[in-house]
Amino acid sequence: MANIAEQRIKREFKEVVRSDEVAACNIKVELVNDNFTELRGEIGGPPDTAYEGGKFKLEINIPETYPFNPPQVKFVTKIWHPNISSVTGAICLDILKDQWAAAMTLRTVLLSLQALLAAAEPDDPQDAVVAQQYKENNAIFQRTARHWTTAYAGGPNTDTELEEKITSMKNMGFDEHKARVALSTKDWDVTRAAEYLIS
Amino acid sequence: MESNIEETTPSFDPSKNYDEDTLAQQREIEKEIAATQSMVSQLYTFDEIVEEYSQEDAIYRQKIEDLKSRFKNLRKTRGDGNCFYRAFGFAYLETLLSNGKEYKRFFDIAQKSKDELVSLGFPQFTLEDFHDTFMDVVKMVEKPGTTDALLEAFNDGGLSDYFVVYLRLLVSGHLQQNADLYVYFIDGERTVKEFCSQEVEPMGKESDHIHIVSLTKALQVPICVEYMDREGDKCNSFTFNPFEGSADAADATPVFTLLYRPGHYDILYPL
Repeated sequence: MANIAEQRIKREFKEVVRSDEVAACNIKVELVNDNFTELRGEIGGPPDTAYEGGKFKLEINIPETYPFNPPQVKFVTKIWHPNISSVTGAICLDILKDQWAAAMTLRTVLLSLQALLAAAEPDDPQDAVVAQQYKENNAIFQRTARHWTTAYAGGPNTDTELEEKITSMKNMGFDEHKARVALSTKDWDVTRAAEYLIS
Repeated sequence: MESNIEETTPSFDPSKNYDEDTLAQQREIEKEIAATQSMVSQLYTFDEIVEEYSQEDAIYRQKIEDLKSRFKNLRKTRGDGNCFYRAFGFAYLETLLSNGKEYKRFFDIAQKSKDELVSLGFPQFTLEDFHDTFMDVVKMVEKPGTTDALLEAFNDGGLSDYFVVYLRLLVSGHLQQNADLYVYFIDGERTVKEFCSQEVEPMGKESDHIHIVSLTKALQVPICVEYMDREGDKCNSFTFNPFEGSADAADATPVFTLLYRPGHYDILYPL
């Protein structure tokens, strides 16, 4: 790894990542290996959103050309959000692409991701299915996002009706995650979800 | 061999991250450019430069002749979107090697600029990092410096790119401090701040007229740009005078001259 990138990440660790402000904002970063190229991040879901109470893990890779190019970040924790792929965890966020500036830091990235959870941009989607639901059926979207937060990110809210639908599909022999994806995609209509999985 | 339409038609695969492919391809292009062009080159003569143009390209060949009648050499910069900043930085510091008074003036502006940028809300942590490196390069002028030492620094990825980043921040800072003046010159429904985070601060974003006006004003350095396009039979020269409209009658003689060929800036050396 290029020396500049490593020096910079080391300094970010010392001066940014461990600050009190960061702890208060409910974000953190950890090293995965000793060479500072792979990091693991975590952000807390913002209050008063469907993600509240959830802890979302992020995979962060630092390119050799950091800080002149952005870190590569994706969600490891599964999440239902218009700008994050429910399949790969890939993120659509301007500062992770062409609006990255070298003056930004990992802290900027994590806080921006938290802001993205609080304010989705459905017109610039990463996940078209989720974005469509967000725009056309927002109540179901909110409920689905909250349910995913509980199922994958340790969120506190149990939605019994949705849980029962998943259980009924599991009883038909479907895998739990696949059932959840199909139900979420088909606005929690069990028949259509089953058809979707069979086709 | 029979072709199978279904296999050859590209289809969207949701489990694949296409952005990663795009980014990887972009990195490859950047690497290729980096391997073939130095960030700031040695001096070229116009007899060498004219060979870049085919015999049929009469207009450009004629304009090269025009430049040859007024300038001695040309120094190329890497075509990576940062060329204006790199050309400006190198050409300016090179002139400071033989101008102690101007160096002193610039040093003070550069030294003070950090606090101004911090007060505009740029993150102190990274700003200090860039400012320290920027000042390290600036101080090379007084060692006493040499053109060769500057050339080496401007071809060192870390130093050179850090220097460019800081110039970008100075442009952004100046635009934001004078937002009411510049807001009418920005394309699209964007605020000056949005323009800065989209078109100024990211590395590799090309410079336009507004960036040049802004940098020359921020540092109070008059420069000349020779524009080489397809119109007329001579290059059009334009002086960016940062003192225009201000009361102090400072000397607006350009400190150095850049050559603009569509999409790119290089450095010119007069006869």
